[in-house]
Amino acid sequence: MNEVFSIRRIFEGKWTQGAIPLVLLVALLLIIEIAAPGFLTGETLALLFANTAVLFILATGVTFAILLGGIDLSIQAVASLASVMLAQLLPALGFAAFPVAILSGLAFGLLSGIVHVKLRVPSFVATLATGGVVTGLALWVSNGRAITIEEAGREKTAWINATIFGLPMVVLISALIGIVSFLALRYTRFGRQATAVGAGEPAAWAAGINVDRTKIIAFAASGMLAAVAGVVLAARLSSGSPVLANQLLLPAIAAVIVGGTAITGGLGGVARTAVGALIISIVRIGMTFVGVNIFLENMVFGAVLIAAVAITIDRSKIAVIK
Amino acid sequence: MTIDTEPLKSVSDIERTTLMTFLPGRIATMLGGRRWRRLAPVAVLVVLCILITIANPNFIELRNLVRLANSAAVPLTLAMGLTFIILMGSIDLSVEGTLSVAAMVVVLLAANDSNGNDYGWWAVLAAIASGTIMGLISGLVQTMLRIPSFMATLGMWFVGLGLSVYMLGGSAIRLNEASIRDLALHRFLGLPLAVWVAVGAFVLAAIIQYHTRLGRHILAIGGDEDVTKLSGVNVTRVRIAAFALAGFFFGIAGVLAAAQLGQSHAVIGDGRLFAAVTAVVVGGTALTGGEGGVVNTLIGVLIVTVLANGMILLGISPYIQQTVQGLMIIAAVALSLDRVRLKIVK
Repeated sequence: MNEVFSIRRIFEGKWTQGAIPLVLLVALLLIIEIAAPGFLTGETLALLFANTAVLFILATGVTFAILLGGIDLSIQAVASLASVMLAQLLPALGFAAFPVAILSGLAFGLLSGIVHVKLRVPSFVATLATGGVVTGLALWVSNGRAITIEEAGREKTAWINATIFGLPMVVLISALIGIVSFLALRYTRFGRQATAVGAGEPAAWAAGINVDRTKIIAFAASGMLAAVAGVVLAARLSSGSPVLANQLLLPAIAAVIVGGTAITGGLGGVARTAVGALIISIVRIGMTFVGVNIFLENMVFGAVLIAAVAITIDRSKIAVIK
Repeated sequence: MTIDTEPLKSVSDIERTTLMTFLPGRIATMLGGRRWRRLAPVAVLVVLCILITIANPNFIELRNLVRLANSAAVPLTLAMGLTFIILMGSIDLSVEGTLSVAAMVVVLLAANDSNGNDYGWWAVLAAIASGTIMGLISGLVQTMLRIPSFMATLGMWFVGLGLSVYMLGGSAIRLNEASIRDLALHRFLGLPLAVWVAVGAFVLAAIIQYHTRLGRHILAIGGDEDVTKLSGVNVTRVRIAAFALAGFFFGIAGVLAAAQLGQSHAVIGDGRLFAAVTAVVVGGTALTGGEGGVVNTLIGVLIVTVLANGMILLGISPYIQQTVQGLMIIAAVALSLDRVRLKIVK
């Protein structure tokens, strides 16, 4: 145990300052550039960003929950439900299907937050439960099938797949979400309070912060962004399905942690998550490149998650590790 | 096995001491406190059975009861393992990953339609061993790297899932070993052998919880880890052993699942974590640890299975099951948490 301790100490100073993820990202980019010259051109980079967009939006949402010291295990379910709702409602509602799908995410995020805060259920169980509720609803609404977005609906989702000034629309959407979230966390009262709650809940409470409200807002944001990710995913794939985003839960949480946001809360932010999401994305591309079997991807991400948690966690904050 | 058997009494003594220090939940107190909370799951089960029978008398037909027992076999075995983890106040999210690894191992080592292996029942032993090893790794990761169990096991969940899908090559592989298939097909006293295996798992879990040092130590850790440590218990070792024990039960469940389906594929574990957590929590085992046990979980598994079965009998879409289970988790946890113990809920 002491060995791990000392390894942790080496990492602690640098990693927690957010330098290591960035160095790792640059190193990975350079490695790929050396292995396959021409990678660092505008076009491939735009493609990389486009492929990272959905993961980044999901990870940005869950950053809010993790920054508070909680976790949101319902994001993949909420995203899938949003994709189903979009595909289902586009023919009838037209463009109004977008806000409806996104608001469903907001509603379930609120539900998670309220269950977690008001009923005082630990967040991983509260969100596991709401995740189940949402998955059940998505299966029920869609009859357990994938719903294809037909030609008429595709006209209304085309703007998401469009390219503006040489940049895919999804990149602009995720950049906008990233910037708004970054500003919200850094410059608004909510952001400061969220960081304070994550850093030390009793102190934040004693300082007069409405801890409950801050937490509920964070979980609502997480749910809403998960729904946005689901909508974007549905538009890109031209289909909605109750299991559409199931494979994204682990990469999204891994992106947040690898970026340098500690699961103990109070440390980290959206900028780190952007770096983390790019790392995850590049590692995924790199694995295919090196010839790692695609089925092993989950295994690698699982191991990466454990390693990243072990390095970034602030053990002084947990009296008993359960 | 009833709640009033002799060995259970000493355990309830331990529980009572923890409860004297910590007030039970507000709502539970309002409705009669401790006694109500212990009997609530049984009452829910009985009421559920009566209501479903009134709505559709086919429910109490022998054929349906056998079907009920059969579909309870895998969740019961899984929930036995999970109970020990939750009793410690931890959580094991790797249920689906470990189960799929065990199912993958048994299918690939016994006679199958993908490779030439034919190790018979050695495959079953290997599958249970691989489940135990997965649990052991979870325990080592959690205690040695000192990270919370939900993160350690979230990682192990996907490690297991990735490993089993990789080994299966992403396809479904059939299990051709007749003697293992007999677990699901052969009947003894009217019930499939898988049900008897699950009953065996329950008895084993009950013996471990109520009659071994490990069981007492797990309960003590859940009650108060610091005090347990000060009493000279090697908490790290107990934790690792508990995770390995859980992996052992998940391994058995993996074999049963493979035998029931006659094959193993990527999604063999889908939804199992959820059902297992629901069963444990609904049975009355507190997520804070130190309260509840395998008897509670037996009731919880029956509630979950009866409800699923009843919903099918009543013609309710099976898709909505997870929604109902999710709401049940929320309700059960909200009713059973000792909020006074939890100043900070994360």
